Order: sequence, then structure tokens, then C-alpha cells
Amino acid sequence: MTSYHRFSPARIWALTMSTVTQLVRMRILVFLLVISVVVAAASFAFPAFNAEQQLKVLKDVCFGLEQLFAYVIAMVATALLLPKDVEDRTLYTILAKPVPRVDYLLGKLFGVLIVIAGGLILLDVVLSGVLWIKQGVVLADALAGLHQQLGGTPPPEAVAATTADVMKQGLTWTLHMGVLAIFLKAAVLTSLTLLISCIATSTLFTVITSFCFFIVGHGETLFREYFFKGGTAWWQYAAAAVLSVFCPDLSLFDVVDAVTEGKAVAVSDMLHMTGIGSLYVAGYMAVAYLLFVEKEL
Amino acid sequence: MKRKLQALIVFLLLGIVKLPLEQHTVTALRNHEMLYQPLDYQARDAVGQIGFAAALGGLRSLVASVTYLMGFTAFEEVNWPRVDFLYNITTQLQPRFDVYWKDAAEHMAYDAASAYRYTDSRPRLYREQLYRQYVQRGIDILNDGLRYLPRSVRLHSTVADLYSRRLEPPNHELAGQHYLLAYQNGGLPVNARLAAYEWAQLDNAPARWREAYQILKSGYDRGLRMPGMINFLHLLETRLNVPPMQRVR
Repeated sequence: MTSYHRFSPARIWALTMSTVTQLVRMRILVFLLVISVVVAAASFAFPAFNAEQQLKVLKDVCFGLEQLFAYVIAMVATALLLPKDVEDRTLYTILAKPVPRVDYLLGKLFGVLIVIAGGLILLDVVLSGVLWIKQGVVLADALAGLHQQLGGTPPPEAVAATTADVMKQGLTWTLHMGVLAIFLKAAVLTSLTLLISCIATSTLFTVITSFCFFIVGHGETLFREYFFKGGTAWWQYAAAAVLSVFCPDLSLFDVVDAVTEGKAVAVSDMLHMTGIGSLYVAGYMAVAYLLFVEKEL
Repeated sequence: MKRKLQALIVFLLLGIVKLPLEQHTVTALRNHEMLYQPLDYQARDAVGQIGFAAALGGLRSLVASVTYLMGFTAFEEVNWPRVDFLYNITTQLQPRFDVYWKDAAEHMAYDAASAYRYTDSRPRLYREQLYRQYVQRGIDILNDGLRYLPRSVRLHSTVADLYSRRLEPPNHELAGQHYLLAYQNGGLPVNARLAAYEWAQLDNAPARWREAYQILKSGYDRGLRMPGMINFLHLLETRLNVPPMQRVR
């Protein structure tokens, strides 16, 4: 007789890979291909700008697309998973076996996270490649411009200053920290959407509710600071408290703005974000489990 | 039902526990200049509802790039009030990126000011007034930027250029101060010499003349021999009554 383990990483891994396959069949790779083409096209745009601006715009476009990819998958694909399993009757086949519901939920979560992480890594590689080529081209142009402006060989310190300015906006390690921050926010959104999916009656409800949390979550800082400040009308105070308690603060993962400006992210900042992101994911998954364990299927 | 109640309790507990942690994290990130303050109502009106929603949704940098591109289009259409409006939004969205402040200021102080001065469709006095207003607008933009980025070499040297070369009459005192700040914050040594050139042109300012002399003399002692620098050194030696034996040749 095969022994039954209540918690089995192998079982979770099998469910994870099945979720990855399910998502890949939703033509996500085409989405990634389109984004990659747009990234490559963006590198040829705006030649009239100065070197730093060209690199900044390229980074903004690329990071914007990476965020779009990550958050759309986190909300829409996650919202589709449970209803699709019910519709295909896969859910009944899985849960009819001795598979704890927590394993099923974790498999779904990790499956979405692997797809998001894989997509972000791919886009990061494309962005890094395009940016590296672009920075070489614009730096050569900037130095040629300096040469022309001074009518001869520019002084070494001027060359060094121009190179430093351009390189600051070029390919740096801190850009990958920006990608990690996007992944952390997407992980929080995925777990939140999975939670909503456990109580939702339709995919549309899950998507709309997740989107509302997404928007309000970016303004949660305002509500929380309003709540902590106090001294306002009681109903305003109560509303701020409710919104602060119910919504995650998604804006605290928005270091991408600073990263595209060329600022370096400190390790302590990444640890802060990773810590609070893990807390959200663990908390939302615990709530999702408590809701899913009694769900009538 | 029992599980649903447990779920609600866990959700509320998580909500309460996370509040101080979120506040701590946001404070730490703001202290390291990794996060901006939330957008205010004025910015919301300026960028419109869609732009505001996008900026609120974590795409603040992208929205800033879009408004920057729109500003550039307005510049190509020679629509100066719109250039000013759009660059104002851009700098509000990303106030710690000094290139935005510099571009916004230069469009006003150079492009717009010159366009108004040399376009014949208005009376001459009015054109001169517009020229001065737009140069001043450029200076104001840079001074706003310096409140966010007090150590920006780029902003200090740009505002110094405006005080020195665009303002009529030039403000040599402020130009010199900003050139020196540009140098002290990591700028090229030429900024220190430019500060000295500005102060050398001041009327009746012996303290500034002495500072200017020290800057230029130290450059001379290091082997620099630019003709402009030598001329200013001679001027300062005369003004400061430097003994003939100590004067440069």
C-alpha cells in the first residue's frame, strides 16, 4: 500500500508543472514575443533626444511592458485557473484523489509564479541586450558630439563625465532589482487574486475585484498615512482604517521609477520589499486555504 | 461557516499587523529616495484621469516619459505654453531626474525666450519683456529642481549659465555661486574657473575677487595657461593690488 503524506513537495511540483502547461497553452508566449518586438522597436525610436533621454525612454517603455505582462498574468490568468479546472472537470479528478486542497492551491500559485518569473527573465534578457547595444551606440554619438563641440580632442575629464552620465542610464545591475520588485508585486497580486477566486462565483467578478484591489492598493499609502495622522472626522478615519486594513500597499514595490532614473537599490531595501511581499503572500494563501477547504464544488 | 470566520479573522489580523510594517518599509524606501510621495490633486488635474490612474498603477515613470514626448512634440510645433505645461507635469511625476528639469528650463530660457525675441509679429518692447519672462521662467524651473536635487551638478551649472549668459543684465554673483556648487558637488574643474570668471566681473566686491584670484591662481600654479584665465588673473591682480613680483606673466 502506498503511504500517504499530508504535505508532499513532489505532489505540489506536479500540480505546479500542470499549471505551467495550462498557462503556456493560453498563448502566453505570443504575448511575450509581441512585447519583445516592441522593446526592439523602441530602441530605434526618438533619435533626436540626447543620449541619456534615449536610454531613459527605452527603459521606461521596457519596464512598462514588463509590468503590463506581469500584472495581467497575475490577475487575469490566475482568475481563469479555478473556473477552467471546474469547467474541464480537472478539479474533480484531482481532488477525488488524496490530494489536500492546500497542495492544489500551492500548485496553482507556484505555477503562475513560475510563468511570471520565466516571462520576466526572458524580457529582462531582451531588455539587457537591447540596452547594452543602444548604450554603445549613443555613447559613441555623445563622444563624437563632444569632439565636434570642442573642435579637437576633448579633455579626459570631460570624456569621463560624459561616459559616466551615459553609463548611469545604461545597463546596470540595479535594473535587475527593478525586475525583482515587479515580480514581488506580481506575486502579491497572484495570491490576492487566488484568494478572491476562492470566494468568487465568476471569472469576471474575480478580475474586476482584483483590478479594484490593484488600483486601491496603489493609493493605500495615502489612506494609511491619513489613518495614522488622525484628527479627522470619525467617518473619514473609519474609511481610511478599513481601506488600509483590507488592501495591500502595492506602491511600496514601485522602485522601478527610481531604477529607471539610474539609482541603485540597496540590499536592505530589497530585503524590506521581499519580507513584506512574503508576508502578504503567506497571509493571503492562508486565508485562501481557509476559504477553499470548505468550498462546495 | 467556522472556516469562513477563521478566514475573516486571519485576514483582519494580517491587515492590522501589516500596517506598521508597511509604514516602516515606505519610510525606509523614501529615506533612500527609492519611492516618491504620492501624487497630489494638482498633479491629477494636470495629467488627466487616465494618466493619473496609470501613474497610480505603478507606471509613473512611463507616464513621465509620455508627457516628455508630448512636450517635445509641442516644442516642434512651437507651442511654448504647452511645452511649459507638459514639462511641468513631467518634472512633477519624476522630480529626482535632473535631465527633465534641465530640458524644461532650457526650452523656456533658450528656445522660447529667443523665439519670442526674434519673431517680428509683436512690438519690440513687448518681445523684450517676453524674452525676460521666459528666461526668468527657466531660472525658476531650475530653482524648483534644486529643491529636490540640491547636489545636482547639471542643475547648478545650467542655472549658472542662465544667470551668466541669458539674464540681462547678468547676475555674476549668483552665477559664480552656482558654478562653484557644481564643482563642489563633483563637477569638472572648469566649473570652479567659471565661478572665478563670474566673480572677477563683479563691481566693488573685494572678497569675491580674492576668492576668484585664489581659484585661478591655484589653477595657474598647477600649470594651466588658458588665455581667458590669464586675462582674468591680470584683471584681478590689478584690482587686488597684487605686488608686481607676485603677479603672473
